[in-house]
Amino acid sequence: MLLTFSLPYFEVHGIRAPAYVVLGTKATPYNVAIWAKEHGMDQSYFVRFWQYASQVLFHFNLGRSYKENSSVWGIISLYVPRTIWLAAVSLMLTTIIAIPLGIYQASRRNSVGDYTATGVAFVLYAMPSFLLCMLLLDAFSFHWPHLPNSPPQGVEAWAMFTSPAGFILPVAALTMLSVAGLSRYMRGTVLEVLVQDYVRTAKAKGCSSRRTLFKHAFRNALGPIIVLLGLSIPALLGGALIIESVFNYAGLGIQTVFAATNLDVPTVLGITLLVAILTLLGNLLADIALGLVNPRIRIEGTKA
Amino acid sequence: MTDLRERVSPPEPPEPPELPVSLSVDDQIVPMWRQRLRIFFHNKLAIVSVAFLFIAIAACFLVPMLHPTNQTDQAATFGQPWNAAPSIHHWLGTDSSGFDELGRIFYGGEYSLTLGFLAGFITIVVGTTYGMISGFVGGITDTVMMRIIDAFLSIPYIFLLITLISIFNRSTVFLICIIGFTLWWGNARIIRGDALLIRNLEYSQAATAMGARKWHIIRRHVFPNSISNIVTVATFSVADAILFLSALGFLGLGIQAPQTDWGTMLQAGTSQIQNGFWWEIYPLALVFIAVVVSINYIGDALRDCFEVRLLER
Repeated sequence: MLLTFSLPYFEVHGIRAPAYVVLGTKATPYNVAIWAKEHGMDQSYFVRFWQYASQVLFHFNLGRSYKENSSVWGIISLYVPRTIWLAAVSLMLTTIIAIPLGIYQASRRNSVGDYTATGVAFVLYAMPSFLLCMLLLDAFSFHWPHLPNSPPQGVEAWAMFTSPAGFILPVAALTMLSVAGLSRYMRGTVLEVLVQDYVRTAKAKGCSSRRTLFKHAFRNALGPIIVLLGLSIPALLGGALIIESVFNYAGLGIQTVFAATNLDVPTVLGITLLVAILTLLGNLLADIALGLVNPRIRIEGTKA
Repeated sequence: MTDLRERVSPPEPPEPPELPVSLSVDDQIVPMWRQRLRIFFHNKLAIVSVAFLFIAIAACFLVPMLHPTNQTDQAATFGQPWNAAPSIHHWLGTDSSGFDELGRIFYGGEYSLTLGFLAGFITIVVGTTYGMISGFVGGITDTVMMRIIDAFLSIPYIFLLITLISIFNRSTVFLICIIGFTLWWGNARIIRGDALLIRNLEYSQAATAMGARKWHIIRRHVFPNSISNIVTVATFSVADAILFLSALGFLGLGIQAPQTDWGTMLQAGTSQIQNGFWWEIYPLALVFIAVVVSINYIGDALRDCFEVRLLER
């Protein structure tokens, strides 16, 4: 955990003189020196790292943004609910779509439907995400203008329920991208399970193919998929970054881009840290869910 | 004479049962890689993908040489129409600065493909080295090295890429390095799994028992036997690198003007989408998607031809 946020910290700090970023390029050397002194820039990396880390760990203080007149935590708490909503709704939809799709593809292997789904997934997978967003925008809000091209600009997460139309395109784009990746894995996993001995036994005992698929194959394929869902959270948040930029969705991703292009180091650090924590939480949840689904892991865990 | 021999010799052993797969002498002496290649080229789509990729690479590098068009000097576009529809002079029209779109696709492709392949190469070299060391040494070294990977993996690539690029400069060499050195963690993990597996297999242990040095085992046993995963992962890394470069191009952090790459071009094209200038986006989008799809498909086909288990199904 400590390591997680020490990495971006070391990478980010002290590359360009941050004083010039804050005070402007025309700042006098005198002012720069005062600013640097105030912010402890004259101390070594390790001292500064310790100061930052102790502030974060013991005071939950992420520092102040260089650009916005606000603390980093203020920026994050303003925008994080929107991003979490976007990611969570997409993750839910992805699960609902990708898992049945993968099972269908595996059970009807090499059929027309399987080839179509694989082909579409391949193309989606190969597409830059912003291109997909742009094509969606072009189709649904320009040529065939039924949906607004960006969600409401307020930062309340509840807007998703009060005016859902604006959220359809971003959510659809993010969902399509993650379904493309996940359904392929689901297909592969179910295929791998379907050739196992216990599935053949079930079939031999006269189990209907539907029952075999859902009772035997699906349950055993669920484990890898849950792990994968947990692991897909960074990809989801990364995808959200691009999608937020395209649709001008006021979320964490677009703030990262602003902060990064403006060299607002504390904000970038804070957001990266938060995203890392979210990812770890996601992995933790995936581990717990895996334990619930697969009793074998629970037993092994208690033994160890 | 024949009678005598019949009487002396023991009864002939029964004919061995017919094998389902003919194991002729030819098949047995064919080297491993050629067998794999044969399986690979049985896959028709894989041939198409390889052919397309070769054509795309050749076109991107040869066409600008044979028919040079100026793509970096704005002065060259004086007198050229902006955003012109495809015509006999400009087969795919011109972009918003008056550059010839077709020439620009080739020109941008040079950057996208070079960066993609070089970054993929860095990825695989670093990832393989790291994964091999971690998996082979094992023990506490392995644990520490894998925890480091976990830490890196918990930060989405794109956040890290943006952070690094906005802090450091945006030169082409730096872009290659930054993409190469941020994408290798997943690869290292896969290869570490392989190394760990192979190290504990009988033949490696036999080699250890016979006194083989560690380096020898890595070179002769672990590396050749994990080459299938290395090659597959390398292919996917190239596709990923191209995609990440395009995402950076979209954010304006990719290759900087006057140079260009496909991501930057697509971004420029998509900003014109409401004006109906389809030639600035769709031809390039098709080429881009086709290139990445074919790289990914080659990766899939390679994995299939290395996976003997999958073939039996």
